[in-house]
Amino acid sequence: MQPIQLFDLASRQASWLSVRQQVVSTNIANANTPKYMAKDVTPFNAVLDSTPVRMARTNPGHMTDSSQLSDEVDVVKAKLDQEIGVQESGNSVGIVEEMSKTGEIKRQYELNAALVKSFHRMMLMTLKK
Amino acid sequence: MDPLAASMKISGSGLETQSTRLRIVSENIANARSTGDTPGADPYRRKTITFGSELDKATGGTLATVKKFGVDRSKYTEEYDPGNPAADEKGIVKMPNVNMLVEMADMREANRSYEANLQTIKQTRELIAATLDLLKASQ
Amino acid sequence: MINAINAVSALGMTRGIGDVSLDAAQQALSPQQATGGLATGMTFGEVLGNMTTEAITNLKGAEAASFAGIKGEISTREVVDAVMQGEQSLQTAIALRDKVVTAFLDITRMQI
Repeated sequence: MQPIQLFDLASRQASWLSVRQQVVSTNIANANTPKYMAKDVTPFNAVLDSTPVRMARTNPGHMTDSSQLSDEVDVVKAKLDQEIGVQESGNSVGIVEEMSKTGEIKRQYELNAALVKSFHRMMLMTLKK
Repeated sequence: MDPLAASMKISGSGLETQSTRLRIVSENIANARSTGDTPGADPYRRKTITFGSELDKATGGTLATVKKFGVDRSKYTEEYDPGNPAADEKGIVKMPNVNMLVEMADMREANRSYEANLQTIKQTRELIAATLDLLKASQ
Repeated sequence: MINAINAVSALGMTRGIGDVSLDAAQQALSPQQATGGLATGMTFGEVLGNMTTEAITNLKGAEAASFAGIKGEISTREVVDAVMQGEQSLQTAIALRDKVVTAFLDITRMQI
């Protein structure tokens, strides 16, 4: 397995994680907005399964754009937090739940970045004299 | 639009709305004993705040906003205080419809939400820093 | 890119049919190979040419990504990814160039 596939997978996970971070930020900011229902994203495994083939780059100016991933990543209504459920105002955001999601996101993103950093360094090392 | 940049803006809007909320709460608390000037006059009426959400076209994010400020239409409480300038002929003074317990609880909630938004901004900043750190990997 | 080097090694030339499926599978997964089915290897000149083209392509991609990143059109991570990829292919091309130049100088110094 060439590390090129690792970089690819890591990029996609990083994209997914940043979309999730945005969704969680939105939930937290709107924790007191009436009728706002908490949202979450489709799990990463589901995203991976749905698009096995990566777009080939045929043009030097052509880059992957995050909108490609945003099409695959659906923002869905989050599962109801058992302790809070839907409050009187129609709001279903549980701050504790959202904060633990941010912890998860941070852990996954830092692992992702650390792996990419190491593999990049290793690849460059093999090419040195 | 970069989701991480959008997150910063969204959490920022959360901070703004929560601090506006705290401002209203402190107004209520400060005026909890503010009566009228003339006999039989109405005292301070408790203020309320309603939040909304708004789609931001530039980033595509759902920002938190303050939809409107309002007043609490519940009844004033009454106290017997004949010496007060606002006392009517029976000596009854109308006091603001501010309940300290409710306001304190609201303040605690607002603080908690503010902290949560702040933590989220810090984390988003850290994620961006980790990304830029990748470029410092070599040499 | 590394697949191309493998394909051109002496061992690769002689492996022939037995390794077609493995190489074809690797090439199907690697987006850098523009044409499939080159399991039996290309000439060294072609590999060199491909590698240089790829390095230039990746560098151009990195530059385009940087422009878009500065204008705020794409996300930070994508810019970083493009730049890292440019760095990797540039290093590969440089390493190969150094080896080729050294080999060439060795050859010129050979006694006839």
